[in-house]
Amino acid sequence: MAAWGGVSRLWRRCCQGPGTFPVNYSSRDMPKQYRFLLNKDLLWVQFSGLHTDLHRHKDNSLVSISDEPDTLYRKLSVLVKGHDKTVLDSYEYFAVLAAKELGISIEKVHEPPRKIERFTLLKSIHIFKKHRVQYEMRTHYRCLELKHLTGSTADVYLEYIQRNLPEGVAMEIKKTKLEKLPEHIQKPVWDKLLSVEETASTS
Amino acid sequence: MAVDQDWSNVYPTAAAFNPSSVPLPIRMGYPVKRGVPPPKEGNLELIKIPNFLHLTPPAIKKHCTALKDFCTEWPTVLDSDEKCEQHFPIEIETVDYVSAGLSVRNPKARVVTLRVKLSKLNLDDHAKKKLIKLVGERYCKDTDMLTITTDRCPLRRQNYDYGMYLLTVLYHESWKTEMWENEKTEADMEEYIWENSPSQKNALDTLLRIRAAEKTTEVTREELLASGIVENYKTSVVALKNEGETENNVLQYKESVMKLLNLQALQ
Repeated sequence: MAAWGGVSRLWRRCCQGPGTFPVNYSSRDMPKQYRFLLNKDLLWVQFSGLHTDLHRHKDNSLVSISDEPDTLYRKLSVLVKGHDKTVLDSYEYFAVLAAKELGISIEKVHEPPRKIERFTLLKSIHIFKKHRVQYEMRTHYRCLELKHLTGSTADVYLEYIQRNLPEGVAMEIKKTKLEKLPEHIQKPVWDKLLSVEETASTS
Repeated sequence: MAVDQDWSNVYPTAAAFNPSSVPLPIRMGYPVKRGVPPPKEGNLELIKIPNFLHLTPPAIKKHCTALKDFCTEWPTVLDSDEKCEQHFPIEIETVDYVSAGLSVRNPKARVVTLRVKLSKLNLDDHAKKKLIKLVGERYCKDTDMLTITTDRCPLRRQNYDYGMYLLTVLYHESWKTEMWENEKTEADMEEYIWENSPSQKNALDTLLRIRAAEKTTEVTREELLASGIVENYKTSVVALKNEGETENNVLQYKESVMKLLNLQALQ
C-alpha cells in the first residue's frame, strides 16, 4: 500500500507541477470540472494515460482539473416522448451520432410502443346528446440506453442533448450511479461502543 | 446561393425554416385534388415542424470535437458488471425530467432508489436473517438484492441521505440480539433445521427399537447420529423441506429410507 500512497502523492505533485492552468472564464462558456477517479486501487489505470491527457488539456484554457473523484454511472437511460414520430427519428439519429463521437458505448436503442389517449365530448354546447366529437393524443417514445459513463462525460452529453431538444418533445433520464460501501457500514458499531463504555466505567 | 459555403454558418443554431436560405426543393402539405403538395414558399407546415438543419452530421462532429476535451474516460478495469459490483456494491437510481411547461420542476424527480446485494455487506448468519425479516418485501431472494425507495423528503439530496441512513440503521440493528429473540419458534424459522426436530426423534427411536428387537449390540444415540445412513436420511429430508419436491429429491429420499430400514428394492 505504500507504493500506492507514493503514486498518489506523485500524481498530486504532477497535477500542480507545471504552473497553475490559466483559467480564463468567458461569460458564455462555463468551464467544466475534469475530475479524476481517486480510488487507490484503480489509480494506476488513470496514471498511465495521464501524460497525454494532461498535455491535451493544458492547451485548452477552459478545462480545469480537480482532485475530486468522478462519479460513475453504470447505466444512463434516455427516454424521449413526442407527438411526431419523424421528429423522434431525427433526434435519435442526432443522439446516437453524438454518443459515438464522444466515445460513449450504446447498449440498446429501441422504440417502446406508442400510447393513444382518446376521449369523447359533446359537439354542441347545449343538448344534441347524440352528436359527439372524439379527440385523441398520440405519444410516441424512443429509448436510448448508454452504459459505463463517468460523471463529467454524462454531464457533457446530457447538456448537449438537452440544449438541442426540439420543441414539443419531453425527456426522462434515469441514472444508475455506482457507489462504494460507506465506512460506517464496514463493521457493526456495537463492539467499539462496548469497549468505549468499559473504558469510561473503569476510568 | 454559393455551393461551397459552410452549412453550419447558414444554420448555426436552431431557427425556423427559411425557404430562401435552404436550397432544397421541398414540398409539404396535403395536395389539392389532382395536384402535388404545396411548394416551400410561404409554407406554414414547414415552418411549424421542428427542423434539424442546425444538426447536420458535420456540425455534430464539430460540436463533439470541441466537447471531447471535457469528457473523461471510463476506467478500463471496470469492464464487466461483476467487477463493478465487487468494487462498487451500492447502486443509486435517480430520474430527471425535462419538459416544457409552466414550471421546470417535476415532483417525481425527488424519488431515490438504493439497491445493494446482501452478500457484499459484512453480515453473519443471524444478522442476515434478522435483516431480511426487518426489511420484508424490499428483499428479493432470487437476486439477493435489497431495494430501498425513498420519496418522503422534498429534495433529492435529503432522500438520498435518508436512504443511506436507513441502510446504516438496518445493518447495525441486525447485528444486535435482543432478549425476546430467544422466543423464536419453529413457525418463525426461515429454513428447516433437522436437529431437535420430530423427524430426527422418530428416526432415532425407530432405529433403537429395531436394534433392541434384534437384540444386537447396544448402540448409543450419538453413534447412530454419526452413522452414514442417518446422515443420508438427514440430507434428503432437509433437501425435500427446503427446496420442495423435485424428482431427484424424492428419489433420494426413497433410497435413504430403504437403507435406513434395511428394505430390499422391489423388483
